Amino acid sequence: MALAGRVAPAFGAPVREIRRGGMVYRRLGQTDLYPSLLSFGAHTDTSYKVPVAVGSTMLNAEGQARRDHQVAHALDLGVNMVDAYQTEGQWEPLAQLVRPRRDKVLVSLYYNSKEFVGQHIDRGAKLFGHVDLYRFPVRDGTVIDGSTLDDWDALRKAKEAGKVRAIGISTHIETEMVKALSQLEGLDYIFFPYNFIHARADYSEFLPAAIAKGVGLIAMKPLAMGSIVSFDPRARPDAKPESQRTTLFSSRNRMILPAAVAELTGTLSRLPDETLCQAAMRFVYSRDFLSSAVTGMWDDQQVDDNYKAMGRYSELRHEERAALDAAARVAKLMGPRWLPQGYQWLEDQWGV
Amino acid sequence: MGRLSLSLTLILAAAAGAAAAAQQPTPELGQAGPCARCHVSSVLEWGLSAHQKVGTDCVACHGASHGHVIDERNNVKPERIPRGAAIAALCETCHANGCPKTKQTASCQTCHHPHALLDPNKGRAVQDQWVKEANGKLEAFNRYMAEGDRLVKEGSFPSARDAFRQAVEQIPGDRRAVARLGMCERRIDPQLAGFEIVGSEFDPETGLPRRVKVSGTAIEMVLVPAGDSDMGSDRWKDSAPVHTVQVDAFYLGKFELTQGQWKALMGANPSQYAGRPDSDRLPVERVSWDDCQTFVRTLNGRVPGGGFRLPTEAEWEYAARAGSANPPAHDELLRSAWFRENTASGADAAADSVPLESYAPKPVGSRQPNRWGLYDMLGNVWEWTSSASRPYPFDAGDGRESETATGLRVLRGGSFVDSAESLDPAMRHAERSDRRFRWNGFRLARGVPASVPPAATKK
Repeated sequence: MALAGRVAPAFGAPVREIRRGGMVYRRLGQTDLYPSLLSFGAHTDTSYKVPVAVGSTMLNAEGQARRDHQVAHALDLGVNMVDAYQTEGQWEPLAQLVRPRRDKVLVSLYYNSKEFVGQHIDRGAKLFGHVDLYRFPVRDGTVIDGSTLDDWDALRKAKEAGKVRAIGISTHIETEMVKALSQLEGLDYIFFPYNFIHARADYSEFLPAAIAKGVGLIAMKPLAMGSIVSFDPRARPDAKPESQRTTLFSSRNRMILPAAVAELTGTLSRLPDETLCQAAMRFVYSRDFLSSAVTGMWDDQQVDDNYKAMGRYSELRHEERAALDAAARVAKLMGPRWLPQGYQWLEDQWGV
Repeated sequence: MGRLSLSLTLILAAAAGAAAAAQQPTPELGQAGPCARCHVSSVLEWGLSAHQKVGTDCVACHGASHGHVIDERNNVKPERIPRGAAIAALCETCHANGCPKTKQTASCQTCHHPHALLDPNKGRAVQDQWVKEANGKLEAFNRYMAEGDRLVKEGSFPSARDAFRQAVEQIPGDRRAVARLGMCERRIDPQLAGFEIVGSEFDPETGLPRRVKVSGTAIEMVLVPAGDSDMGSDRWKDSAPVHTVQVDAFYLGKFELTQGQWKALMGANPSQYAGRPDSDRLPVERVSWDDCQTFVRTLNGRVPGGGFRLPTEAEWEYAARAGSANPPAHDELLRSAWFRENTASGADAAADSVPLESYAPKPVGSRQPNRWGLYDMLGNVWEWTSSASRPYPFDAGDGRESETATGLRVLRGGSFVDSAESLDPAMRHAERSDRRFRWNGFRLARGVPASVPPAATKK
């Protein structure tokens, strides 16, 4: 499979979407990259993290072996894009893992270092041969300040020098997304949070502008940092949210939200063969403006579930819509509490 | 030798014929493109012919011959030099029915010279007369040229000018004679208002001083000789394809413009690295392309003659290459350029992860110059060019040099934070004209007086 490489149609416009096996690959904006619709996220399993410096943790040996196995499993299923944080010690293991099939994998790297960004990219390019996607985070009000533009200029030069194939940003703030479209020359893609609950915000200014401009769109947090697991009482006992302590089905919440929870439970019972997470992934897969959904996966079961959801992604069924609507209503009643503590500000951002 | 002598005879016959027909050779030279740079006489012969009138040019018979055009040592022959029966075969590609007059389909060369296509009906006597006149002109031409060169060696430029003028009168289109004449005129009167000549070195080809200083400023400039060179590189997507450009002589800043020079003219200092002990010698940075235009407008308003500007992309790359086909090797870069490997300082400079703040530009001219005496062409700060970003091949006539051209403007050369591979003369970067970065500066350029023989910017 050469999908991670250059895909050049024999004639006419580049194809937008390719299906191969159970996987779908969509062109990333106007680049020649075709990431898989399901991509492997950078966040690693907190249960296996050990502190290595002040404010910094890495996976222990067992955790690393598990992650390597999960990434390899995902690649075997046709996932071709893997996101990795250097600060979580994931560059070297990933480089080793993908070396035998480097031309078939899109390596997505992220800048979260004090190091000069140009040097950070060079480090990644040296390790991986080249970097397929490279992005940096944009926080509130920073997209056009001097520092961001400095970093962006360095990214553009790295792309011009052939070290990076696509450059982008990740941000949670819609106003910054809109500004980035007009201010960041050569922007190839944006990582932005998108799931069935945040979709209510509809990004009315950003999405039409991004689509018109041909900027690639990649959904991050399709399962809201795992919070959506908590909405499904049928979730496996070991299926835990990424970093949150939402206990939707605790007795306290059941008392606060009896009607809404009952409705959700009822709709879920009409999805006997599907989890709410799978319906949530299918919601994201069905948005044809997205090139990929990047999600953290911490066990083989999650990889398989997200992959299986892909197999029937085309249209959401009525029952799935009903379940997602019920879950969204519960989230609205809960307010920011449905999200992990560190991300509750997202609710304020969108006012959903 | 026999062939050479015959060739010269025919050449001069053609030239004399041209004179007899009161034709000026220059239009034909122009139509023949780069071929006329060396094959003046053949082009003049062709100028007499019906082929010229219908636009059947050198390429039609000899092929595009790109390799031959760019081969300075003349090791690469044109794509086609038909001989013998191949001549008739080539003629037949257009003249399918044979000679319009005789219907002959072979041995065209028995009646027609391949370039001049002399009319066989004109008669041998007329042609002999042309040859005789032409030989006389050739002898006189050679005599005047030798005399001129002798006088130049003696430093008698007014007398040498007269000799070259006589030579030009014998063969008006001769590029060498015109160039020598121009050189003498400039040695007599450089016409360099706004410049003060530095030193006593003059370019033997153009007669222009090699080093000058902008009047009333400390800005030094160096003469970049006219010539042609490869432009672009297949290493970088935006720099392909490699193509040949011909650049006229021009003056280019010996150094990147410094903060001190900017302040002296504009007052304020926009630089990120202002206020340092050596800041007057540091390159000015955080200047946008628009700021550079403001600077050159102000300078042109103050310096007699004006004409200062940013270099075009083609000029910049030509000057940065300084005759070299390949980017500099790493050890050469370490000697001649400031870049990421030698610009970090402070506590974090030795760390594994060096922050941006540890890097800084260095005083201009503190590394070795390139072969043409230009400092910091690679590294220290990126340099704005006048050119709008457009795909290659470079064509100055397609609007990219217009001040009102839309889109991004091109920067060249790499900077103190860039890695070695970015310090490639062919590497292009483009930015919005109003954007300011701590690693973007510029150097000045200025054309030479118009009496220098013009060269096409692109061939």
